[in-house]
Amino acid sequence: MKELIEKIKVNQNLSQGAEEYLYTISKERKFNKGDTLIREGEKVKKTYFVKEGCLRSYCIDNNGKEHTLQFAIKNWWISDFIAIYNNELATLTIECITDCKVIEFNAEKLIDIHSKFSEFETFQRNNLERHVVSLHKRILNQLQLTAPERYEFFLKQYPDIEQHTRNYHIASYLGITQQSLSRIRVERAKK
Amino acid sequence: MKALQIIKFGEIEDSLSINDVEKPIIESTDVLIEVKASSINPIDKSTVLGNLQSLLPISLPHTSAYDVSGIVVEKGNEVSHLEVGDLVYSRVPQEQMGTIAEFVAVTGSAVSKKPGNISFEEAAGIPLAGLTAMQSLEYAGIKENDKVLIHAGSGGVGSFAIQYAKAKGAYIYTTTSTTNVEWVKELGADRVIDYKTEDYKNLVKDVDIVFDTLGKNYTLEAFQVIKKGGKVVSVVGPIDEEISKMIGMTDYKLPEDLAKLIEGKEATYKFIFMHPNGEHLSAIKSLIEDEKIKPILDTVYPFSESIDAFTHLASGRAKGKIIIKIN
Repeated sequence: MKELIEKIKVNQNLSQGAEEYLYTISKERKFNKGDTLIREGEKVKKTYFVKEGCLRSYCIDNNGKEHTLQFAIKNWWISDFIAIYNNELATLTIECITDCKVIEFNAEKLIDIHSKFSEFETFQRNNLERHVVSLHKRILNQLQLTAPERYEFFLKQYPDIEQHTRNYHIASYLGITQQSLSRIRVERAKK
Repeated sequence: MKALQIIKFGEIEDSLSINDVEKPIIESTDVLIEVKASSINPIDKSTVLGNLQSLLPISLPHTSAYDVSGIVVEKGNEVSHLEVGDLVYSRVPQEQMGTIAEFVAVTGSAVSKKPGNISFEEAAGIPLAGLTAMQSLEYAGIKENDKVLIHAGSGGVGSFAIQYAKAKGAYIYTTTSTTNVEWVKELGADRVIDYKTEDYKNLVKDVDIVFDTLGKNYTLEAFQVIKKGGKVVSVVGPIDEEISKMIGMTDYKLPEDLAKLIEGKEATYKFIFMHPNGEHLSAIKSLIEDEKIKPILDTVYPFSESIDAFTHLASGRAKGKIIIKIN
């Protein structure tokens, strides 16, 4: 938690009370590879900040196939934000794809934190801005880049992630088949 | 709920019916699966014909089939590795047979999460054939560089076995008919023998393992092509003495001709009685997610046409699995 607080303090001051409050709405937790943190169809009560390891969020289509929305590595946030902000049940499942250390926040209290401590407004706005930028980039990449270009972008965004993920996690994130991903890798290796 | 039931033993068209039945109630060790898809196997046809009544007796009416994929909607308090909402697949135990239905109760130990990269229909085709192939080849101790003969490479079990053996790094001989040679090669077989034009006994020598999926003469011929000390595993040949004790037969002896052949080659012969196993399905899940094994589907039938699916199975012309989509 100290590291996260230091990161927040880079952009703003935090009062002693605000720092202490962060501790009261969170706890550090360890999870094992394969553990499910949020499950589709359930109420979402937590938001996670990643200290170590890698997680992914995915949805499941009507045929039972998984589609990866996001990977989260060190210093990333992950939850089902659609469910949290719309007060709906989860449409995403979040699982650990490696052993993970996270800070688990009470999602409701984290959203509302600025009403108790106004200094968190900047922190929340920054987080949301980064999130919107990241999502827009992801959408634009899907619209305008070729599959090999999307893969290059992915590798830059998530360095070293390939050793932890299965091919179908990445293929479904990029919106391509596993066979296409294999072809792209072969072509890339030839360069 | 609706279920496809065997109402009498005999011809398929007269013996199966979609009926309204009670939704199953789970025990503390069970999960209740909302069925998305089921698949049918040769054993399901034999059950309808009544050919298995001496070995695996059932009382009628009885819901049909063993393979299932779906979603866990309830779980007993002794089930710890699965949660409500999990997407799963299973080959259900004999006493819980009845997967062509809207719901099925299954002991948790026979259930695994399904592979995430394939559909419910594809997943439903895996368990029985996959477990049969895996358990047979693992019993034979398959390892890298082993030479393996897998009969009937285009069948449900054979096509899975080729992919499994390939994943283990084995060299694979397989037999099939002319029309299937190319796609069986694509599955990973190193030497595909067209039994219509070639005699496999002239081409296969000193293999470490024969996986016998045909029985009769093929079981005996296995000892011509196996190396000294090799292993023959069969899912259709004569049962072995260990299995005979398991099913309560006393004083059973292997057929004499088979016993002599085993002795002559200092070989091992084992009849494999596939057993439901969620952990094995979990290992298969990883192989599928890593693309070492691909599901092979022939046809997907809607629930309302499941009797047609059985007729298709009985024709023996399916190339890959016959699936019934439940909802």
